[in-house]
Amino acid sequence: MSEASAPGLASELEKAKEILAEALGEELSSWSAAGARRAWADVATGAHVKAIRALKAEFSELRLSGLTGTDLGDELALYYHLRLGGFILTLRMPVPKSPDGPVVESITGLIPGADLHEREAFDMLGVIFKGHPDLRRLLLPDDAPEGFHPLRKEVEARTLRAEETTPILSPVVTEEKGPIVTLIIGPQHPALHEPERFVFKVDGEVVVGMDIRIGYAHRGIEEAAEHRTYIQDLYLCERVCGICNVAHSLCYCLTVEELLGLEVPKRAQFLRVVAAELNRLHSHMLLLGVAAEEMGFTTLFMYIWRDREVVMDLMEMLSGNRVISSFNRIGGVSRDVGPGLVEKMKARLLELRKRLEHYKEVFETDPTVLARTRKIGYLSRSDAIDLCAAGPTLRASGVDFDVRKDDPYAAYEEISSFRTAVRKECDNWGRYMARLEECLISVDMIEEALSELPGGPVKVKTSRRVKPGEAVCTVEAPRGELLYYIRSNGTDKPARVKIRTPTFTNLAPLRKMMEGVYVADIPVTLASIDPCFSCTDRALFVDVNTGEAWSCYIDEIGRRLRR
Amino acid sequence: MRIFPALIVDALRTLLRSALRKPATEKYPEEKPKIPEGFRGRHMVELDKCVGCGLCARDCPAGAIKMVKVPGRKGLGVPVIDLGRCIFCFQCAESCPKGAIKPTNIYSMTAYDPGDLVLDFRPLLLPSAKKGQDELGGQ
Repeated sequence: MSEASAPGLASELEKAKEILAEALGEELSSWSAAGARRAWADVATGAHVKAIRALKAEFSELRLSGLTGTDLGDELALYYHLRLGGFILTLRMPVPKSPDGPVVESITGLIPGADLHEREAFDMLGVIFKGHPDLRRLLLPDDAPEGFHPLRKEVEARTLRAEETTPILSPVVTEEKGPIVTLIIGPQHPALHEPERFVFKVDGEVVVGMDIRIGYAHRGIEEAAEHRTYIQDLYLCERVCGICNVAHSLCYCLTVEELLGLEVPKRAQFLRVVAAELNRLHSHMLLLGVAAEEMGFTTLFMYIWRDREVVMDLMEMLSGNRVISSFNRIGGVSRDVGPGLVEKMKARLLELRKRLEHYKEVFETDPTVLARTRKIGYLSRSDAIDLCAAGPTLRASGVDFDVRKDDPYAAYEEISSFRTAVRKECDNWGRYMARLEECLISVDMIEEALSELPGGPVKVKTSRRVKPGEAVCTVEAPRGELLYYIRSNGTDKPARVKIRTPTFTNLAPLRKMMEGVYVADIPVTLASIDPCFSCTDRALFVDVNTGEAWSCYIDEIGRRLRR
Repeated sequence: MRIFPALIVDALRTLLRSALRKPATEKYPEEKPKIPEGFRGRHMVELDKCVGCGLCARDCPAGAIKMVKVPGRKGLGVPVIDLGRCIFCFQCAESCPKGAIKPTNIYSMTAYDPGDLVLDFRPLLLPSAKKGQDELGGQ
């Protein structure tokens, strides 16, 4: 983590500490700052609402970056990772295990975007959030037995059997009063690329409300990560999402490196920027193509995906594979680039930039694109903040926040061509344009990083064991801020890995955007947050055929599948 | 309706270019693709270098590598790689203290029987085996 703080960062941190001390008094038991951009505060059970209310009054752009629930054995703990501009303040709060279930107060009244975060904590750990408007299961089947919360240490894996649950399809209560009609899309539907279920309330052609059910692609990664070594977890985390695999492996590496107190060589940091930006280009171009297809502009889709091949080729040259790069390693990167490769990559980037500039012109002028995206899916600036939007979704609503700028990692601080792509439109078009602009900026950044590649090694040796501690890191993934929290207990396996993917936090804003759009605009609006549900669903296996939920070592998966 | 020169000019340019160039798609399998240097394909294990430490098997995230005892060799034996489980991350190459495991540019590894996907280099240890027979095992 970079120590060269932006002006005022230290005073901001000091201010947050004073606010907490004043609001909580005795209830704030400890405060520690780790570097310039991380702070940890231990608060008494139930004091989190007071703390967040006081912080929100002072920091208007406060967002909940993640809510980690963890089982410490004797008691549970909730970690509220709050994003306050350039730093993350984590409120650590113990939650005693009581016979009627641990109860804490919900913060959805203060931060509406905490809705899904709290539901996940309820689902996985059984924490009951008092005052939550709709505390249902989020990832497990709706009719999973009461008290079955898989991340609790006392819950035996594989206790959920086929006869106990139906495949995760809860009956929809259709209260069709007047003209409101319930429209169900998914989990299997030709318009969806991934299995998720949307329940729309439709008044004529206009959507008035939306409910989303995720969990169909749940693979048990958080639980599996606790059973494998740090080295093996790197490749597991890389597979949380195929498209943004570099962001996931980078964020994992940064977190483990922080726990190890490791300094990564300069050259490796620059190469990480190259890989991360190639990954962003790949992801954004994929999305823009999909968006064009959703608009009914298949030609544009074909062209964008044809040109995306340039990015895939570059990734293959850099890392040895088109999609899963396996480029980031704990302590550096897996391989170096030679001068010949740098020149080759630069030449291909020139050709790519021309195409991207052209697509920008198309998105700016084409009547199909404009008619299908402008003034549709409105998300105001204040809603984007309250609902904890991330990435281009946040920036297209006029919030100038980018982890690469506000909380720089790798070599982003030294790349001068970086600028944030902030749009004021707040609609689908703004979100697509923000991504297109980011593509062009990414090309500039890759060129700069390749030209100014410092010499030296690309990897340092690391130890297999990690000393006890905890760390939280964020990375600007193509879809927005990605958060990893890792707690180590001194062995070669982590005690808890929490992954908060950007799509997860963008689902609450999506619900807002959907209000008032026409049914025909649903796919375009959905695509505008660049949803990636396979990364949103993690933590537990749910076998849809048998309805059996289980978690296990990765070794066992193949065996189970073959049965 | 407005005229959109950007699109029309591009349409003409694309038409011309596509008429002159070959298609963007590849004619696989009639034409073999060009594999870039450093491609992470099938493994090559140099048994002369292997000391049988078993670090590759220990670090393999997919559990694809098993150490098999070979009479007359020190350590845990030699690695046998199940390509059906391998995720081609090449952590094994990174963990190997002697640099005995390397990726090759062999990308086509299809087989009818999962058993054929096991990459076993032990036959290379037999005195009759010729060196450099990298097609042994698996294929």
